[in-house]
Amino acid sequence: MASLLLSAQLYILDVGKITGEMESNSLNDFVLALKLGSRHVIVGSLANISNGGQSSNLASNLQRWSSLVSKQYQFGKSVLNYTLNEVAPYSSGIWIYWGTNGTGISSAYANFTYKLSDRAVNIDQSYFVNITTTVFITSSYQTISGDTKQVNVTINVLNDAEPALAKQITIYYKLSDSWLIPNATNNYTIADYGNGTYIASFVANIPSQSVEVSAHVIDQREIYVQANATSIQV
Amino acid sequence: MFDQRGQIRIIEAFLAIAVIFSVLLISVTFPSSPNLERQKSLANLGTQALIKLDTNGTLGNLIMQENWTTIKQALDILLPTGVSFNLTVYDENMQPINSQTIQNSNLLGREAVSVQYICATQNLNVQFFVLRLQLAWTR
Repeated sequence: MASLLLSAQLYILDVGKITGEMESNSLNDFVLALKLGSRHVIVGSLANISNGGQSSNLASNLQRWSSLVSKQYQFGKSVLNYTLNEVAPYSSGIWIYWGTNGTGISSAYANFTYKLSDRAVNIDQSYFVNITTTVFITSSYQTISGDTKQVNVTINVLNDAEPALAKQITIYYKLSDSWLIPNATNNYTIADYGNGTYIASFVANIPSQSVEVSAHVIDQREIYVQANATSIQV
Repeated sequence: MFDQRGQIRIIEAFLAIAVIFSVLLISVTFPSSPNLERQKSLANLGTQALIKLDTNGTLGNLIMQENWTTIKQALDILLPTGVSFNLTVYDENMQPINSQTIQNSNLLGREAVSVQYICATQNLNVQFFVLRLQLAWTR
């Protein structure tokens, strides 16, 4: 009888050990999925805001995400909290800088804390998500004849400080207070170097010696960014 | 009188041995618990497959496009052969949205595990989905 009881106890302990490992592994995966989802929410919100959406969309999307996550774990208490970065240059987690010095930045930043507690596991994790699309442009021009100028614009696109491909690039040049898009009549061409570098070239009649250009870029994540620069005569 | 008591003791001993052997026989023939190690690996495989598919936002995009066939094909590739699956996609309000079944074979009668995954899309209008993936070994 004693050996029966002992073997039953050993069996229960063994099964309990396996169940504990199982729970730990699935919790690690759950947290990984959580971080991935948080990243997607920030990317989508920044894409929306940089394309003209309200900056409050970031907070409302994160609130929905946090609420959904908190409901999903049924074996304990699960709480996802977020705070939007308010440290300058960020405001409500968003930093949009579309400068005239050749640099354009669209960025979103949020900090997260995730707490989960159940019978066997206690998780208290902090992480942050920073999504940034940056564009750098430099431009030069040559006067071909009279007011006709050959303009070159070099565009560098970065996703989170890494070279990235653009989904769409639109080049503008300024002609007496109007921004115009060069087209086939301007011999417009754009070369894609496949590493986040693009060179656009066009010919235009620009009377002014100060040639202003602008690049409007949408990256592969749908995040919009623009930068303006003054072309240098070569 | 003494002889009768001795016989009862012997019968009791035989009965005890019979009980112990029958219990051992039953426990060997019918394992009382599911194979937790195999279930654990199956649940991990399922979650890893969904995480891989979701890494660059593909999963969310496919759900938005209601491209259930491609999701099924992707899971066919990401999960090892010998695994049956059935995926149900729910919206934020836990209403199932997949208009066709996303499964490679029927799970009926199999020892299945269920994995729950929360997915956020990364497009202009962020949407959330809850995915329930049921998995079973086919052999």
